[in-house]
Amino acid sequence: MVKTQSYKITFTLLILLALILFFINLNLGSVNITLKDFFSSFFTYEKNYSTPEYIIQSYRLPKAITAVLVGSGLGISGLLMQTMFRNPLAGPFVLGITSGASLGVALVIMGASLLGGFATHFLMNEWSIVIAASLGSFLVLLIVLIVSSKVRDTMAILIIGLMFGSITAAIVSVLAYFSSAEELQQYIFWGFGSLGDLQWKELKIFAIVYAIGLVFTIAAIKGLNTLLLGENYAKSLGLNIKRNRIIIVIAASLLAGTITAFAGPIAFIGLAVPHLTRLLFNTSNHKILLPAVFILGAIIMLICDSIAQLPNSDYTLPINAITSLVGAPVVIWLLVRKRKMMF
Amino acid sequence: MFNLIAKRLINLIFESLNLFNLKNFILIFILISFFGCKKEQNIPEMPINTTKKSNIAYAEGFSITNGVNFNILEIKNPWPKAEKNFKYVLISAESAAKTTFADDAYDGIIITPIEKIVVTSTTHIPALELLNVEKTLVGFPGTDYVSSKKTRARIDSKLVRELGKNEGLNTEVLLSIHPNLVVAFGVDGKSKSLQTIKNANIPVVYNGDWVENSPLAKAEWIKFFGALYNKEQEAETLFKQIETDYNAAKKLALNTKNKPTVLCGAMHKDIWYLPNGESTEAQLLKDANTNYLWSETTGKGSLSLNFEVVFNKARTASLWFSPSYYTSLEALEKGSKHYTAFDAFKNKKVYSFSNTTGKTGGVTYYELGTARPDLVLKDIIKICHPELLKNYEPYFFKPLL
Repeated sequence: MVKTQSYKITFTLLILLALILFFINLNLGSVNITLKDFFSSFFTYEKNYSTPEYIIQSYRLPKAITAVLVGSGLGISGLLMQTMFRNPLAGPFVLGITSGASLGVALVIMGASLLGGFATHFLMNEWSIVIAASLGSFLVLLIVLIVSSKVRDTMAILIIGLMFGSITAAIVSVLAYFSSAEELQQYIFWGFGSLGDLQWKELKIFAIVYAIGLVFTIAAIKGLNTLLLGENYAKSLGLNIKRNRIIIVIAASLLAGTITAFAGPIAFIGLAVPHLTRLLFNTSNHKILLPAVFILGAIIMLICDSIAQLPNSDYTLPINAITSLVGAPVVIWLLVRKRKMMF
Repeated sequence: MFNLIAKRLINLIFESLNLFNLKNFILIFILISFFGCKKEQNIPEMPINTTKKSNIAYAEGFSITNGVNFNILEIKNPWPKAEKNFKYVLISAESAAKTTFADDAYDGIIITPIEKIVVTSTTHIPALELLNVEKTLVGFPGTDYVSSKKTRARIDSKLVRELGKNEGLNTEVLLSIHPNLVVAFGVDGKSKSLQTIKNANIPVVYNGDWVENSPLAKAEWIKFFGALYNKEQEAETLFKQIETDYNAAKKLALNTKNKPTVLCGAMHKDIWYLPNGESTEAQLLKDANTNYLWSETTGKGSLSLNFEVVFNKARTASLWFSPSYYTSLEALEKGSKHYTAFDAFKNKKVYSFSNTTGKTGGVTYYELGTARPDLVLKDIIKICHPELLKNYEPYFFKPLL
């Protein structure tokens, strides 16, 4: 009971921090916007936005919300996979889920012209990239799961994930050879990752799919905790392993897939955030871990985005560079102090 | 034991020596000493008795020195930060038979006039056509990008071979058609396939028109092609005309009072890519007497700016040129809803060259725009100052619908 008390304080502090960072994120950017303009933007009718109001309402606000969804979603999907595979190195990037999404997107952007006129028309609507990315990541995770039931060695599963990365890279380079400069450009820019590309209409769809992913995640909490004890023990506790696995796979691929679809492949967040959370909370209870990962993921992504915007300069860094700069040292640090790792 | 091994070794050496007879041995010796000497001497370049530099006013990337029997073409900056200059001898077939050149003094000996040529960029094609030598073109990589009717007809009747896609030249086909010259462009000069072509004794010349800093300098590369075809006089006249037309249009535009504000480019994700203030695009906008909002910027390559900055500065810009590859206002809106918040979009003042294409989809601007800056400038002037150039119909730039 005492423990829950202390978590309450930590949670309150974290939520406060997240809110403050959200506010700061909205107020930092290339263009200086006064607080007066900032607040007035919330009370102006869309058609009458002044330039600063438009920037706040139509650019920075969707971007900040995207950052929250991306950070928390990737963190959660990373946590799900680390628990399911009982492997601290699991994560959307390492297991090839992101590669799967990339392959889907590459096929849509660059493969469409190869398939001829009808297919181009059919494939190139607004949502095709999103659907392709989600399908791609779902398929890869499914394959990894099937393989993992045959191969007991977790290292083998990680290597299989990396192999998917190589296969994707190979297919993409073949497609790139045959596609036009514009298509190639479009794919490369997608690969940079971006939070600021979504508008309200897209954000709505993103949020709905994300919410469905969250529901599946919550449904899996109890199973996740028992899984930590080992599969055999979980079975003896009456857990339906197969059903539980499917739920986790759906949740993780829905989250990672849509995020990759809408924001591009964002590196390392999925791997680093769950570890940070475990170190901070010192627990492996998913009832605590899940909300904590949610908040911490959002916090880290908001910080990364604020840095990437290079406030007061005319330029923006690719978000992927920043997340990797934050994420990679964390992974290294984790490996160095491996003996004390919470898992 | 060791003795035995030593004896065996000595035997072996003598046996192998016996394989040469003495004559060969001497010959090899002479050859070796000859090459040894050669290294120490500096090979004198062929003296050119009366030298005269060709008149090149704008372009900085090449020069032509006229000699008695042959000309020397020097390419100075085939790609940004190139480390060496390339020197080529341009010589007629008769003179070539009488002259010998030291092997490594020049990067290639080119027999002029060229009878079979391969060019690699669509920007090279207008020069061939203006000089009336398009019939010498025998191969091109990515023939679909070629829009000009004359060359298109030759491609359709299979007189111009397809040499592969983009920069990956199909070396085998190229070697089989055996052109007198390949005009390439190098991004860094490290192309393996070009090396293979050189090794097959087909001279490769790098064309650096794209490195030049001003529209007229780019256009002046027609003189480069003129020299290859012994048509220097024609090239001179053609360029003079373009230069005169360009400057006349510029003067006309500078006389008008209004200076409309201009936005360029479009976004990929939330980063806006636009030409920097020193680019040829910006110079054309300046010469058309417009206020390009980023004309003060410097640097190489395009600017990549945050959406906020561009929106803040250019929301009220009256004209918008070249929004990336978008071909309609609807496509722009689909690309990002942010575009619709710009005044230029609301007033339908968005102009692009993307809709002016050839039969197979090649964008004409990319082909002809470099060679004819006078047309590009007139296009922009006509759009920005409709009261000028009353009878002129824009050639490349069309409003997006």
